[in-house]
Amino acid sequence: MTDLASLSLVDAADAVAKRDVTARALLDACFARLDAAEDRVNATIWVDREGAYRSAEAADKAVANGAKLGKLHGLPLVHKDMYYQAGRPCTCGSKIRKDFVPTTTATVLERMAAEGAYAYGGLNMAEFAQNPTGHNAHYGDCHNPWNLPYITGGSSSGSGAAVAARFTYAALGSDTGGSIRLPASACGVTGLKPTQTRVSRAGVMPLSFSHDNVGPLTRTVRDCARVMGVIAGHDPLDPTSATEPVPDYEALLSGDVRGLRIGVPSTYFLEGADAPIVAAIDAALAVLAARGAVIVPMTLPLMDAVSAYGSIVSRVEGATIHAQWMRDHPQDYSVHLSARLFGGNAIPGTYYVEALSRRGPILQAFAKEVFAKVDVLASPAIKTVLPTLAATDIDHGPAGTEKTFMAVSANTRPFNYLGLPTISVPCGFDPNGCPIGLQIAGRPFAEAKVMMVADAFQRDTDWHAREPTL
Amino acid sequence: MTLDLIEAQIAAWSGITAPNDAAKRMALELAGTIAAFEALRGTLEFEDEPASFTAALQAAKA
Repeated sequence: MTDLASLSLVDAADAVAKRDVTARALLDACFARLDAAEDRVNATIWVDREGAYRSAEAADKAVANGAKLGKLHGLPLVHKDMYYQAGRPCTCGSKIRKDFVPTTTATVLERMAAEGAYAYGGLNMAEFAQNPTGHNAHYGDCHNPWNLPYITGGSSSGSGAAVAARFTYAALGSDTGGSIRLPASACGVTGLKPTQTRVSRAGVMPLSFSHDNVGPLTRTVRDCARVMGVIAGHDPLDPTSATEPVPDYEALLSGDVRGLRIGVPSTYFLEGADAPIVAAIDAALAVLAARGAVIVPMTLPLMDAVSAYGSIVSRVEGATIHAQWMRDHPQDYSVHLSARLFGGNAIPGTYYVEALSRRGPILQAFAKEVFAKVDVLASPAIKTVLPTLAATDIDHGPAGTEKTFMAVSANTRPFNYLGLPTISVPCGFDPNGCPIGLQIAGRPFAEAKVMMVADAFQRDTDWHAREPTL
Repeated sequence: MTLDLIEAQIAAWSGITAPNDAAKRMALELAGTIAAFEALRGTLEFEDEPASFTAALQAAKA
């Protein structure tokens, strides 16, 4: 019999709806996995077991009463600990907010609750979502379920690890420079950074106003599509959220990529890439080509501008948000975070405004040139073999460690400045047994197409179905 | 940019001092970011402004 924790989110929700399993049984299965491995993975910051069982029992009662069930009914989920839940802790992975209890709930969690899901705790994360590795000086580093001394990717470290380790069926992360796609890649799960403005950020800790995105980490693309169908769409509480209609993402997973043009950048994304990563990406592209997709090698325009301007925007916005705490109690930050935040204060305002002002024209020029030739872009999410926690530990490592640390997110950051929807799906393992992620990006609001390509890949592969041994 | 200049600017503008040696090293690397930015000088157009990004998302969609 299949362990209930191993079900996909869609299968678990459908099983509850058909009365094949109870919500309580799903929760028992997830907690059994958590209890067996959390001491080594460290994916959670807090867990509310009593509240979780109350929610599961309420979900089962609704089924018994014949209530209309939502798309996520009875699912025990858990999210990066930066999503506000009224009356519950929200540490943001920090010492500074260790006692913070918000009075409001994030819109995305309200929407998931309206479809029957509940959250059973808060997941480990980089302090204030500010690193690409999963280090956390205050709550302990999160460990890769596939090989514990290796990074999980960050900043949504617990989200990637918890979904991979079958502690839950899906977890929300946030992505400002790769923080959904990096842990998805490193932990062997699926992670989508939506188009900028696609998903409400109301009730979510900010990091960089211009680059922050909310999105799901799941085990399959179909799971991802279901969650996106629930959380996407305009929110009056987030005036920056788009009014663009939300398509039926699940219905659009046709698997049909015949004639679809996949651009493979020969520059930037593969420069300095390790051989095992290149081999895995080539093999993944061959799978899609066998389904009828057309692989188009190409160079990308404007990458120098995207990198330079994107770095300016992220640095200044992060420094601005944290300036008061950096003045009042800098000792409460980890070394690597306060070090990163410090320099952003030296960037002139005129540089920041120029970087923001060029964003629209650069996106238009990039899209005009690139998407006239191809439908989507494919690249590795992380272009090097995954490093260990020790090799990227700025707080305790030698000078220069920051270079290895920052290299992790080189391939994900550009899509935050461009605002494009981008997904990472597992496509192999490196020589250390750590997963490799295939990153697929598309036009603004082309989440359906990006997920369709990724789903087509998962129809012919089983990388996403493999489980770490813990 | 020298480290002394960076530290003096940040102290004067923001009232923040370097919290550790890593902050000083990473602040020095700011020179690379600034150089990359300055290499793009002359590309900003008179009419460019931040709000154009939202319009660009719409204009660039399929």
